[in-house]
Amino acid sequence: MTKHFKQGPVSLAVAALVGSAALLASPQTQAAPKVPGKYVAGDFHNHTTCSDGATSMQKLVKTSMDSPWGLDWFVQAGHGGTGSRNCSLPEDASLETPNYPFVAGQGPTTTWANSIGVDKLKGVVSGTGATRNMWRWQSLQEVQYQVLEHLAERTNQPLFLGLESVVAGHEHTSMSVITGQMPFGSDPGTPLTVPGYVPLGGYTAKGNATALAQWAYCFDRNTSDTSRGNITGSAIGNNWECSVPGSLNAADPSWNVAAQKLVPATGTGTGDRGHNKTVEAVKWMAAFHPNASYYIPAHLERAGPFNPNGNNGFNIEHLRNFNNAAPNVAFGFETQPGHGASSDRGEYLPKRNNFGTGNFNTGTALVNVDTAGGTTYGGTGVYGAVVGGVWDALLGEGRNFWFFASSDWHNRGQFGVDDRRSTQDFWPGEYQRNYTMVRNNGDKLRPQKIVDGLRTGNNFAASGQLIDRMAFVACASYAGPARRSDASVEALAVNAALNNTDTDVSGCATMGEKLVVRPGADIVVSIVVRDPDGVNVAPYSFDNPSLAQVGISQPLNRPVLDHIDLIRGMVTGFKTPGAADYAGEWPRNTNWLREDGTTTGLGAVPVAAKNTTATILKTFNGDGAAPSWTSQVVEGGKLLKMTFRIPAVNASQYLRLRGTNLPASVPFETDASGNPLSDLYTNAADPSKLRIACTVAPSAAEPAILTTGTVDGCPAHMEVVRGQKMLSYDVAAWADLWFYSNPIYVQVNGSSVVAGVK
Amino acid sequence: MSPTKQVVEQAETRSNAQDSSTWWSRCLGEPMVHFVLLGALIFGIDHFLLTRSDDPNTIVVGAQVDLEARQVFKAARGTEPDAAQLAALRKVWLDNEIMYREGIALQVDQGDKGIRDRVIFKALNIISSNLQRPPYDDKLLRDWFESRREKYDEPTRFDFQEAVLSDDNTEPAARAFAAALNAGTPGDAKAGLRVFKGRPRSNVLQSYGPEFTAALEVSPVGEWRAHSTKDGWRVVQLTALAPGKPAVFENLYGVVLQDWTDVVMAEQRSAAVDALAKKYTIRYESEAK
Repeated sequence: MTKHFKQGPVSLAVAALVGSAALLASPQTQAAPKVPGKYVAGDFHNHTTCSDGATSMQKLVKTSMDSPWGLDWFVQAGHGGTGSRNCSLPEDASLETPNYPFVAGQGPTTTWANSIGVDKLKGVVSGTGATRNMWRWQSLQEVQYQVLEHLAERTNQPLFLGLESVVAGHEHTSMSVITGQMPFGSDPGTPLTVPGYVPLGGYTAKGNATALAQWAYCFDRNTSDTSRGNITGSAIGNNWECSVPGSLNAADPSWNVAAQKLVPATGTGTGDRGHNKTVEAVKWMAAFHPNASYYIPAHLERAGPFNPNGNNGFNIEHLRNFNNAAPNVAFGFETQPGHGASSDRGEYLPKRNNFGTGNFNTGTALVNVDTAGGTTYGGTGVYGAVVGGVWDALLGEGRNFWFFASSDWHNRGQFGVDDRRSTQDFWPGEYQRNYTMVRNNGDKLRPQKIVDGLRTGNNFAASGQLIDRMAFVACASYAGPARRSDASVEALAVNAALNNTDTDVSGCATMGEKLVVRPGADIVVSIVVRDPDGVNVAPYSFDNPSLAQVGISQPLNRPVLDHIDLIRGMVTGFKTPGAADYAGEWPRNTNWLREDGTTTGLGAVPVAAKNTTATILKTFNGDGAAPSWTSQVVEGGKLLKMTFRIPAVNASQYLRLRGTNLPASVPFETDASGNPLSDLYTNAADPSKLRIACTVAPSAAEPAILTTGTVDGCPAHMEVVRGQKMLSYDVAAWADLWFYSNPIYVQVNGSSVVAGVK
Repeated sequence: MSPTKQVVEQAETRSNAQDSSTWWSRCLGEPMVHFVLLGALIFGIDHFLLTRSDDPNTIVVGAQVDLEARQVFKAARGTEPDAAQLAALRKVWLDNEIMYREGIALQVDQGDKGIRDRVIFKALNIISSNLQRPPYDDKLLRDWFESRREKYDEPTRFDFQEAVLSDDNTEPAARAFAAALNAGTPGDAKAGLRVFKGRPRSNVLQSYGPEFTAALEVSPVGEWRAHSTKDGWRVVQLTALAPGKPAVFENLYGVVLQDWTDVVMAEQRSAAVDALAKKYTIRYESEAK
């Protein structure tokens, strides 16, 4: 029996995409030489007092860029919606600039009403009195961008502005449209000239963030403003309209004529209508800013599965829909969330999400729904952490869908923002970093090059400074004269790692790339990472309590890479929208994470959301009489070198890496195969589940405020259970470090096409 | 009647009814007394703060401010501030105090998890600083140690390595691979070699299950064997086994004392919080846990 189904715009789009990609992918062609670049560390999701963060723009940028963990690039991206506080006001004189001086009695928690005055606030009135709100679109367009460009100009640092959008139909997404931002060179820029615009700070920007602001107005769920970006009650201003080429727009039942945008109704079907709007959002980005935008769902497991009647999480079909609609924009996910020091790591926790009245699947009484997966797993969400899970399902299609991490900086929990300890967040770069290949050919890092780098997927994410360099190379090797030796490939990787770059050799590929080979080719995989010297920026110098369980003495601030897993999955092509294997929810609640912290396994996961071909192909470590990696002392650390030959491939596949400071079978941290276990056992919010004792007594009283130095014993803020301090909060995060690479695709001629990568 | 007055009057009533010296000596060891005194202390602090807020338009810039300003300045610059610098610091403090009061008036602390956590932390610190360790003797500690002996005994430890299988982790594949390894095939011939040193028995039991643990305990050292585990077959070689040793109380006296102290202090802390909870009406709704 042949099944017929109506093809919507998304399925037609994917059909067109697969077709064109297949045509493009056939015979090998000589690619143009790569533009030289370096791996550079950055963060694109963090908050100021303009939304719900604790610091000014100035303090956030300075701490992120100039601290011992200083990043190479930085995107400031707070929540969509509104905010009542003026994050352009510095905390103190050390943060002031001539254009944004410190004003005694004012700071980043001073409200807009008490600083610039309510008459400057635009759009439909939100809030009252001293807590009158500024819409995010105005804040981006008229305040935050100006501060950021000013700081970028003063410090010569690569900064730009993004947004953590509150997503229609879902929870949150890290995104940006960089058009207009940070003009350079001969580009004089386009200063903001919107009718009625009066500069609100002391700096007049050369560029503008109008495109980003317009997107926020048009598509952010929390932006219920209907003013079209205008002065309150007038037609003076941006007069934005939000139509998308080729879409229904005004013919869509959700279209609001006054607002000139989609305003989906609430109630039953909210999630479905919202998701449809968000697909329009990425299509808008692809239509108007195809190379100048990105859309990366943030902590996407946190809000649980998708809720058709609310605004909760993302299922795999929604990621597919985004990637189908705008493959150059929706090219990844932030499956390693921030909030790494929280009582629930990543703020992922069981029964977190209220799905409204009743269980929509069964019609039974309301049961709150877990974060997808229940918790994080070694700090990473279940979609990215489980071998064979959602990420592997997407990669198994041959999609360009990449792994990213973020800090999600807000505050330090029970500590002040300058304290080195935390029960909530880490500063951008302090704990997690994206290392992105940016091909700037020696020029200054520019927003466009950084976005281009993110889009390519040539990126790895590492926590706790576990590694700071990586070369991951796969080369084809054929029998006969074209045979490539393992040593020659390893030499390429070593050279790349020494220079903090990648390779540009015909017949070889690296992360985010596709190696096209003939059937029967050997694939030589070489991995070289740098385990950095000395201490990381953890404030704890006592032994890692997790490792102490298995007799390993290793100070928390001197982590050592234990092993690297090379993971392989097979590629079988894009799933068809509407087909049975296109959509499927990750098992919710105890159907995945049991009360005791164990999981049910992939058997419970629907076919659409898993790739059971994904497996650990090889594990490398420095243990035993014959270590499977060799080491080489270099400046800044130690290169660990390992090479592996996959014989005679006949099917398309992908290879990816993960590594950690934890061996296999560390109680309550890793299983016997080295997979991260649920972080339920170190999440302080449920002390009854804490399992790892922290037994080292500090040699001296802990200071009330810790801004320098380290603590040499279990700190006082750790959760105590029956008199025993238990591994929790930031200490748990520093104990449990991981890195993840993005994949290298191997497309075998005659096998499945890796359609998502050119 | 104010809560503070009530607590004080209750304490006075009880005090008058008994001989003060014996009453105090007996009750000072009672956790409930600690809680009453602690409650009085907290109410006292609360009263002090309320007194300040009773006159919200008066701010006193006094000696304590100057002292703190001098300390901060000296820590940062290494010298004492001069008069002008001290005046500037006073101004900063005053500005901050104004903003603090304005912020509280605007209720900007409401809904801020960071502020909530910090207040909780400070309150717990106040509670902790007022707790006292109860008396103890060797018998008490020894009994406590014996009841928790498993924590102190040195467990049986295993050194072993796993030759990791590739995709196929069925019994035939595992047995065939074990045979090949015993015939000289390198341990990393398939998906690599995992090396484990000094793993306690409890760790092995948890990670691999009882069947594997029992089998490993009787495995000949140096021989590769296929073992069933809770998540499939594995090929493992026992390289050394160190039998467990019972712990000696005298050797661990200091550790046991510290552990016991931590436990009883935590119990006191929990009891103190429970006592404070009595002044609240706590209503659990159906889904709250």
